[in-house]
Order: sequence, then C-alpha cells, then structure tokens
Amino acid sequence: MKSVQRYANPSSLQEALAARKADPGASYLAGGTCLLAGDGRDRPESVIDVGRSLPREILREGSLLSIGAGATFQELAESRELPPCVTDAALSMVNRNTRNRATLGGNLGADKSCSSLIPILIALEAEVEAASPSASPANPPGLERFGLEAWLRSRAEAPDIWRAADLVVRVLVPLVEGRRAAYRRWNRVACDLSVLGVAASYRIEDGGVSGLRLALGGQGPKPRRFPALEALFEGVALPSREVIEEAVSPLLRPIDDLRASAAFKRLRGAQLVADALLSASAQYGASALSGASDHRGERIW
Amino acid sequence: MVTTFKLNGKTVAWELDPGLSLRDALRAKGVISVRNGCDGEGSCGLCAVLLDGRSVNSCQLLAVQAAGRDVRTVESLSKGRELGIVQRALVDAACVQCGYCTPAVALAIEELLRRDKNPSREAIADALSSTMCRCTGYEQFFDAVRIASKRLADPSYAEPAGPEFRPDLRHIGKDRDKVDAARLALGERAFVEDRVDADACHLKMLHSPHAHAWIKAIDASAAEAMPGVVAVLTHLNCPDQVYTTAGQGFPEPSPYDQRMFSKKVRHVGDRVAAVLAETPAEAQAALEAIVVEYETLKPVLSIAEAKAPGAPIVHSGAVSYVVGGPPEGTSVEGDGRDDPVVYQFPLHSDPHRNLAASAADGIGDIEAGFADADLVIERKYKGNRVQCTPMEPHVVYARIDSGRLVLRASTQVPWHVRRIVARAIGIPENKVRVIKERVGGGFGAKQDIVVEDVAGYLAWKTGRPVFFRYDREKEFIASRTRHVMEIEVKLGAKRDGRLTAIQMRLDADTGPYGQHCLTVPMNAISKSLPLLLCDNVRFEVKSYYTNLSPAGAYQGYGAPKGSFALQTCLAELAAELGIEQLEMIERNRVRSGTRIEILRSLGEGRAGTAVTLGECGLGDMLARGKAAFAWDLAKEQAPSHAVSASPKASEIPYAQGDWKIGRGAVIIQQGSGLPGLDAANAELRLLADGTLLMLSGGADLGTGLDTVTAKAAAEILGLDMEDVEVVSGDTDVTPFDKGAYASSGTYFSGNAAVRAAEDLRDKVLAAAAAVLGEDAGRLKIAHRGRVVGERGEVSLARLAHMSIQGEGHHELVGFGNFKTEHAAFPYGAHFVQAAVNERTGEVRLSKYYAYQDCGTPINPALAVGQIYGGVMKAVGHSLYEEMIYDETGRCVNPRFLDYKIPSILEVPEDFRVELMPVADEVGPFGGKSVSEIALNGAAPAISIAIHDAVGAWVREWPFTPERVLRAMGKL
Ligand SMILES: Cc1cc2nc3c(=O)[nH]c(=O)nc-3n(C[C@@H](O)[C@@H](O)[C@H](O)COP(=O)(O)OP(=O)(O)OC[C@H]3O[C@@H](n4cnc5c(N)ncnc54)[C@H](O)[C@@H]3O)c2cc1C
Ligand code: FES
Ligand code: FES
Repeated sequence: MKSVQRYANPSSLQEALAARKADPGASYLAGGTCLLAGDGRDRPESVIDVGRSLPREILREGSLLSIGAGATFQELAESRELPPCVTDAALSMVNRNTRNRATLGGNLGADKSCSSLIPILIALEAEVEAASPSASPANPPGLERFGLEAWLRSRAEAPDIWRAADLVVRVLVPLVEGRRAAYRRWNRVACDLSVLGVAASYRIEDGGVSGLRLALGGQGPKPRRFPALEALFEGVALPSREVIEEAVSPLLRPIDDLRASAAFKRLRGAQLVADALLSASAQYGASALSGASDHRGERIW
Repeated sequence: MVTTFKLNGKTVAWELDPGLSLRDALRAKGVISVRNGCDGEGSCGLCAVLLDGRSVNSCQLLAVQAAGRDVRTVESLSKGRELGIVQRALVDAACVQCGYCTPAVALAIEELLRRDKNPSREAIADALSSTMCRCTGYEQFFDAVRIASKRLADPSYAEPAGPEFRPDLRHIGKDRDKVDAARLALGERAFVEDRVDADACHLKMLHSPHAHAWIKAIDASAAEAMPGVVAVLTHLNCPDQVYTTAGQGFPEPSPYDQRMFSKKVRHVGDRVAAVLAETPAEAQAALEAIVVEYETLKPVLSIAEAKAPGAPIVHSGAVSYVVGGPPEGTSVEGDGRDDPVVYQFPLHSDPHRNLAASAADGIGDIEAGFADADLVIERKYKGNRVQCTPMEPHVVYARIDSGRLVLRASTQVPWHVRRIVARAIGIPENKVRVIKERVGGGFGAKQDIVVEDVAGYLAWKTGRPVFFRYDREKEFIASRTRHVMEIEVKLGAKRDGRLTAIQMRLDADTGPYGQHCLTVPMNAISKSLPLLLCDNVRFEVKSYYTNLSPAGAYQGYGAPKGSFALQTCLAELAAELGIEQLEMIERNRVRSGTRIEILRSLGEGRAGTAVTLGECGLGDMLARGKAAFAWDLAKEQAPSHAVSASPKASEIPYAQGDWKIGRGAVIIQQGSGLPGLDAANAELRLLADGTLLMLSGGADLGTGLDTVTAKAAAEILGLDMEDVEVVSGDTDVTPFDKGAYASSGTYFSGNAAVRAAEDLRDKVLAAAAAVLGEDAGRLKIAHRGRVVGERGEVSLARLAHMSIQGEGHHELVGFGNFKTEHAAFPYGAHFVQAAVNERTGEVRLSKYYAYQDCGTPINPALAVGQIYGGVMKAVGHSLYEEMIYDETGRCVNPRFLDYKIPSILEVPEDFRVELMPVADEVGPFGGKSVSEIALNGAAPAISIAIHDAVGAWVREWPFTPERVLRAMGKL
C-alpha cells in the first residue's frame, strides 16, 4: 500500500503550479474526501495541497457567476449568489462533515458518475478556468477556459492533453435570462452517493423547449450529456411526465450493479428526467437570482 | 515534518510522517477519543474533530495539513473531568449507550450550537448527518440538543423528570445517570484499543479469497523470515482441536466444526493464516508473502443449492456425538481429509447433506385444523443476511502476565471466552483471565469467539503481547451475521378470523459453520408462535451449511424473521377474509390468563410445559396505539405527517399524489434469558467507609446493565448511586455469569445483583443487631447508609469497619445467585404509518410508536433508549440493509458506502416509545428484558403498511424501492 511521502503546501497559485512543474507526478490535494478516502487504498506519493492556492469566493461578474474551485460544498450551500438548482446539488451531499471539506475543484477532478455537481454544471453550460504548470512566470498563471464537459472528456479520454491544464481555478456559469434548470437524484438513504442524478436546463421559446441540456449521472461511467434525450424534447412543448418517461427509458443503458438493477435504474432514471424537466423553475435566470435565498432558507436537507 | 498547530487551545509541534492521517496522529499521541469506525471511508464520522471550528473527518486529512490551524477534540469540551454542557446533556438525555460514538456526537452538537442557538429538528439532523450510531436510534440526540441549548441560555436549567415508576422505591423506576456515561462522554480510556501497550505486536489475518477450496499447499517460509515477524500460524502449526465459536452455555447446541485454521476454506473471508509482527505494516507485508495454492471447489451459495441432491458438501469430515448418536440414515464416515464434526448431543443433523441441525414438533392435529378452516393461505417469506455492525469492530488484546494469559476483550461472554479459548489452546481454564472492557456495541456478534482464540494462542505461544482488531471489511465478511431464513407459513381460519391451524416451515442458512445453527432459527418459531392461540400447530426448522458469511447471534436472535413471516401472513389472511388487521390480531392473540399450549413443544432443548400467562399488557398497548393512530378513522382522515414534511416529497409538489399513506401494527414478544439453562452471580462488598463495590459477572455492552446492578445495591442498602461502584465481567475478580445474550442482562445478572444486595442487607442487619442489642427483625435500613432500630442506630461504615477489625467475624459481603424455571415474556405492540411512493417505490416512515411491556423499567430513559436503538436497527434491516454476494460467493458490499445503515435522517418523523409496565413476579423489582424485543416489530408492521398504502405484499426484506415496485408489478 502506497502512502503520501511528500507534502507541499504552496501559498499561491503560482507556487502551486511551480511545485507541480518541479514534481510532475504530484497530485493536487483539495478536500481529500476522495483522494485520501479509505485507509487501505493506495495514495499518491506526492501531493500538493491547493487549499491556500485556489480562490473560494462565489461572485457575480456581470452575466457570469464565478465560483472559486476551492469553495467547499458547504460554502456553495450557504452562498446567496447561486441559483437554487446549484445549492440543491451541493446540499445533496448530505454528509455535513464531508460538505465541510469537499470542494468544487475536487468534485470536478474526481469526475465520478455519482457527482452531485457535474450534471447541473454541465446543464448550465459552465466553463472551467484551468491552470497549467507549463505557464511561464511571464504569463502568469496560464489560465485557459474550456467548456466543462469538453474539459472532463479530454482529461478522461486523453490524459496527456489535459495534463497541460488540469488544475481548475474557477468555474464560470453564464447567467442566461429565461433559463430554467433543476437537479434531481436518487439515493438509497439520505447520506448516500448520488446513485442516479439528472440535471436539466432549457428556455421556453414559442411555447417549446429551447436549448435543452440534459446531463445524467449513474447511467454510464461518467456524468455526461445525453444528446439523444435532448433531441426528444428540443423544440416541442414538454409532454406529460408519463410520456416523457416512456420516451426516455428505452434510451438509457445503465448496468446492473449492487446499488440497483439496470431495469430499476432505467425506470428511475427516466422518472428523474421527467421530474427535472417538469420541475425546472424559472428561478435560474439572472433577474430571478435575488429570490434564491428565500428558497434556500427552507431547505437544510 | 514538524507541524505546529493548536490542539485544544494549546500550541503543539509534532514531528509527523507526511502520510499519516490526522486521526492516526492524534491517536498515536494519546488522543484516543478520536475513533475509527469505517477505515477512512468517510461514512462513520467517529473520527470527527473541529478544524477551525468546523466539524470534519480527521481520517481524510493528513496530519501535516493541520499546520497553523485550530484543532479541537472532545477533550476541549470539558474542564478536567467536569463535563461540559453538551456532554452533560448527552448523559442527561440517556444518549450514551456503548459510548463509542459519543465524543463525535458531542463535537457535532457543539459545532451546531455555536452557529445556531436554537436549532430545529432538521438542523440537528443536518449537524449529526455524518455521525453513525448503531445503539441509540438517534431520537434522544434531539433531546440532548434541546437540553444543551437551554442550558447555554440558562446554565441552571433543569430538565423535568421523565416518566417515573414504582413510587415506593428511591432509585428503581427513576432516571439516574448511567454509571459509565460520564467517562465515556469525556472520551476517557475505556475500550480494548485504549489499553494496548507500546510493545504490543500486531496480528493480521490472511482471509480466503475463495468461498470453497482446499488449501493444497501453503508456504510461509518467506513471511517468517521477514523483518519484524514474530510468528506465522497456519493449519500446519495450529492446535489440532475442533470447537464451536458460539458463546453459549456448555454443552452447546452447536456442532464443534471449526479448527483454528483448517486445510479447507469454507467462505470468502475464512482464515488461512495469521501473522504476528512488531508493526502493522510488517505484519501486512508478511501476509502478502505467504504463498497459498488452492484447489477450488464448487461453492454452496444458497439454501436451495445446499439442499439439492449432489450438492457440494461443506463439511465432509467424520461426524461423532459426545452423547447420543446420529439419526438413522445419515452418514458419519469422514472423507479422511476434512476436519471432524463433533456434536455434544444430537441436533437431528446430517452434515454430509449440508444439514447442520433440524427440529420439528407441534400440538394438536394440523391436518384436521386445515380441514376445519374456511380459508387456508400459504405464503413464503424471506429475510436476507444482515450484519450487526457494532461501531467498534471485533478487537482483543492478549498478554502474558505472571505466567497466565490475560485477554482484554470486547465480548458479551467473558466466561465462555475463557472456556473456549482454554480449550482451543489446550490449557486449563485457570491459566486464562478475561477482562471485559467497555464494549463499543456487541449486538450478538460479540457473543462469538471471533478473534480471541488466535490472539490468545499466539500470545501464549510467543510470550509477546498481541493486539488484533478487525477492520470494517473483516467485520462484514468474517464476523457474524443474521441467518438468511426462508419461511413458509400456512394458516387456516374460520370466516370469523379464528385460526384453526398454523404451520411454519423454516429453512435457515447458517453459513460455513454451525454456531447458533439450531437456536437462532428455533427462536424464530419460539418467539412468534406463542403470541397466537391455536389448537393445531406444526413447525419444522432446518438449518443448512452454505459457503456464505458465517451466521450467528444478532440482537433479536431469530425472532425478527419469524415475527415478520407470521405477523405478515396473519395480516394477509385478514385481508383475504375482509377482516381489519388489528381485529384479526384481537381474535387470536394471547391475553392475561390464557394457557399457552404451544410452549409444550418449545422447550429450548428440554421438555417444554404449557404455561398459563399471568398479566399481559398487550390489550392496553393495542388500545393506546389505536387511539394514537386514530385507527378507527379512515386512514385518509387520520392526521398524517408524511407528505408535507417529507423532504424529498416536498421537492416535487406536483407529484404529492404519488405518495400513499399506509399503516400497520403488530404484536411482538421475546423472552428474558434461558430458564433452566443459564445462571448469573454477583458479589456485593461493603467497604470500610460505607461504600459498596458491586462485583457483577454480567457483561454490560453499553446496555446499562452495570447501572441496573448498581441501582439494585443502592436501593436495597439505602444508599445513593454515587456510593456504589461496579466492577463487572472480569473472570478473575467477579463471579460467574453466563454472559449477555438472550435478553438475559437485567433479568439474570440484575437479579443476581438483587440477591447479593439482599444477602448483604441481611448480614448487615445481623451485625447491627449485635451492636445495637436489638432483634434483627426490628431493624431497618435507612437512607443514607444507616441501620436504625428502636433504641439507636449505627452506620454501615461503622459496621463494615468493625467487621474487618480484630474482633470482626468476617468482611461484610453479600452473594447472589440467580437461576429460574420461570419464563418471563416481555410483550410489545408496534404501530407504523408509512408514506409509500407508488411511482418510485420509496418508503418513508412518518410515524412509529413502539409500546412495550418490560415489567418495571429499572431506569426508564435507558430502557427507552434501548428500544429506540432496537427499532432503528430493525428499520435498517427492513428498508435498506442487506449483504449482497456475487456468483463466486464474495460479499460485494462489505462497507458502509454500500451497506446502508440508517443515519439520523432515516429516523421516523414522529418516533415514540412508551413503556407499559406489567410487573413480573420473578424479575428484579418486577423487571423484564427490554432491548431485543424491539427488533421484532418493524419488518411486519412496515410490510403491512406498504400493503395498506399501495396494495402489494412485499415478502422479502429489505423492502427496497426495487422490491416494492416488483411487488406492485411495475418492474
Ligand atoms: C462520505 C462521503 C460522501 C460523499 N458524498 C458525495 C455526494 O453526495 N456527492 C458527490 O458528488 N460526491 C460525494 N462524495 C465524493 C467526494 O469526495 C467528492 O465529490 C468531492 O467533491 C471531492 O472533493 P475534494 O475537494 O475532497 O477532492 P480531493 O479528494 O482533494 O481530490 C479529488 C480529485 O480531484 C483532484 N483535484 C482536486 N482539486 C482539483 C482542482 N482544483 N482541479 C482539478 N483537480 C483537482 C485531485 O487531484 C483528485 O484527483 C462523497 C465522499 C464521501 C467521503
Ligand atoms: S474513520 Fe473517519 S469517517 Fe469513519
Ligand atoms: S452509543 Fe452510539 S454507537 Fe454505541
């Protein structure tokens, strides 16, 4: 069993990137709720603690929401800037001790199918601002922007490419007037991973769904968009939930595992798609954000 | 790396290995209140610390990350040994059962109250969402937070006393602090792992990766030569003895079918080899260097496979009997290769057909009973494997001292440990001392000798101190579980609902070894059938060997599964007959004064006799439940908490119509120890300052037994609780006790303490009579510590002092022994209201009321806590918990990440326990047993509620959404 041999605790982003450049095999360590989970599991030999290097502020910058990658789930949950669909997703990590440590950046870095945040951030067309250790001191700190899903895909599928810009510094969420969004999930008990998760976002134009984005977790190895599902409803008025479920379920291809059978995941996944679509509230849009805090007050779960 | 940080307000600078977690660093530095319940998975929260004021899991932090930060542990809440407000509130609200989780709970509440002075129920649940507790059922944590919050505002706040019983007595029936609660809340050293010396060696076990295989060859030579390795043990060099690990009275009703190590492995997780080394890392490295060659065999992975003709045989060695002989037609000749199987007496077994034990009996004429019925139904119920999951896994520390083996153990059965370990090692019992430490939860798993034999043997052989602690995965796969049971129930009834015949046919899966193989399944019968009156009853029980995880004792023993089958079937019959389900119970249940004939055939290994029931509280309990649930109103009109307050349901307001309300109620019973089989003893010493030392054989597992024995002494000798200290479960110091199982603690060990106190009282009175010159019959014990006569009085202290002086005759010591032929049944009635989502299959409990007749509640709040805890375990078993196996027999969810025990968020919204005392004539002060019975109600009551809500019977538990939807035909 491998354990951590080297620990670096840089105090700025530049230092963190320099540390990484000097030790390319090192892993970034944020909340540690994934990287350090399980006493018996192998751990990276070298870690760079990004706790002091990453921003954690949650700010509105014009029509963009900027979320520091160092923000913890609890900070997301407590923020008054975020739309309810994001705070819902953050609070769906019910375990409070974990919420106090786990970060947004670590959640994206872990890229787990059971992620609470990735589906909703993909649905909201979030972008990541990522830093690469190869940035020169003259061009600090080499920040690049990627669409979140593209960033996740490239690092999952072609790790050599993403290595260039693998440290998420901020997540940027465009605020789109009139957009509706929701996140729904299924889990076995309250303090469980999100076994199945669905996020939806769209606008209503001429009575029909427009710009629909559906991202699902638990229906494949990673949480991703499902274009085939989006195509079902794009441009049409949303049908009843039964019709949605019937249309969606044949397009899901989950696997049997110990958490549930494939048949159940298909049925339940389709229900969550229907619920996310039908319950997506208009509260998301830029002008509606001020109402968000009332909503949060009543949801501690 | 030197790391400087603030620990509990003081700056410390520690030299730290960068790989060390903060949890392990704190423990290594002696901050032992930070515990480990899930091996760093992040699920249990027992390692919590406050990091810059926020509650976090210290297992997922590197210790070096603490640099420059503020770290607080439970030690920061108290001043010296004086409890802080939160700790005091936890003690007052009876939240400290085993106490293993208490420091973490205290920290979570501390953090909560700093940011929210007056938290709501939801905020409390959120704050405690990370902390697992298997004992308390969480409900009393809400009380503790309320009390602490009031005291923060007003330090003089006193919580009004809860319900009290027995106004004629000073302590009995009143709430007193649990005697060990304060030290557990302080986080003081109390558990086995807190007693380990710096020079201890570490034992690690190599577990089988195969469900069924011969070990063809095993080569440990490389491992033996590795640095730090002290010894390696395999089947080649371990004692050649078979025994049972069941901590039952001798001669056990369990076959001796297990060797310390065998050349055949019989389940994934079976023992292959043990390594003893100086450090855990060296032991682990050596384990990996052991070369094993297996010859794999087809495993037996279900009851059906075990029964099938031509099935692989789990035990193929020679079968013999100490008393009696084999049943006709069974084979006893061994294959010349496998270990022998020795039965102490016949259990109607046939190991070479995988039948570990069986029993069948009944009363009346079953066929005539069915012929007489207007309606006969037959249903099959299945209960899957669940694990006890004590927060503290199995652990032992073995050391040689003065030529004897001293085992510091976390056990329910110190004397059985002594006997079985002595036998396994081949040394006399007087060479072994077992000291039961505080037990971080037992729940039956610690009624078995799971770790003590091998640790004891290695200490004995090498002379080195041996520490052996299971990790969570081992606790799942190589500890004990509740037997899988498949129960066919056939009921016949008249149109008016009166039962004419009951037949129960039960098949159980005992796993690879036969500990408790007959008694657990028999208990499913013997604690369910006697609730119903019927002239024609028949039962058959068969217990099969399989290659799945070992089964054994688990709180409730077999009763929860029998209760589920019989009570659910009765409700199914009621539904078919168009009779309201409680009315059906009413027409068939036992009541005060009825004669329970079925007990003739349920003698627990002896000839049984019919019993005429004395007072029985069932009628009152049912009436209370009906009133509280407005049972006579249509359920739509009955007040409901479900939909509106159910958090997930309220997220989908348009879909409220998917949530259907259902309700269910059942009657339950248990026993109070094993009459005629078991015995308990206690000794009570009066010390020269007038205080008492109670030496109780009983094994307190966090259940409060030591508090019961202390109360008995204080009550009878006219003293206060602080005048009594209890030492218990030490085989050198305290007298014999059968151990804590079969709901025997209060009844047996408690009664032994009562008798010891009465004996001491009589001796004190005799001594006082001589001093005062009065007839002993005219003297009375008066509060606090005085003997008062008509002419004068004398203190206990003076009497004690005189008794040990030159002119004294002997030390004033009382002895108490308890055994009985009397069977005391606690009864209960559980009422449930559930919201069932007919679209998603989810089940939420909106209301759960447990009524229980436990005789006189010796300490009401602790009794109530036992019941909450029992109910929540059963809720977990009913809705979420199940060990799942793949096609090779490997358990795929041996961790909390995927074996879901309830957290505080699963607690029913309206959760209540009410005690209905019906005094028992033999029990201590009229007390009966409390805790086990509480597990018998949830499964049948919830299954009945599900049917009531959505019209489908779910006959296999846990009732997962998937099973509910399947039962509804939607999947
Ligand atoms: C009890 C428990 C419950 C959980 N419940 C949930 C849940 O409900 N929902 C859920 O989504 N997850 C859940 N998780 C998983 C949880 O670990 C992650 O989701 C969490 O967000 C990881 O964040 P972290 O900061 O702890 O990351 P770390 O463990 O520190 O890192 C995780 C990975 O991300 C990388 N990384 C860290 N920071 C960055 C960054 N800024 N940019 C790029 N890569 C980075 C690391 O190198 C590592 O590979 C749970 C975990 C536990 C232990
Ligand atoms: S040991 Fe840290 S959460 Fe369980
Ligand atoms: S008291 Fe909580 S685990 Fe025992």
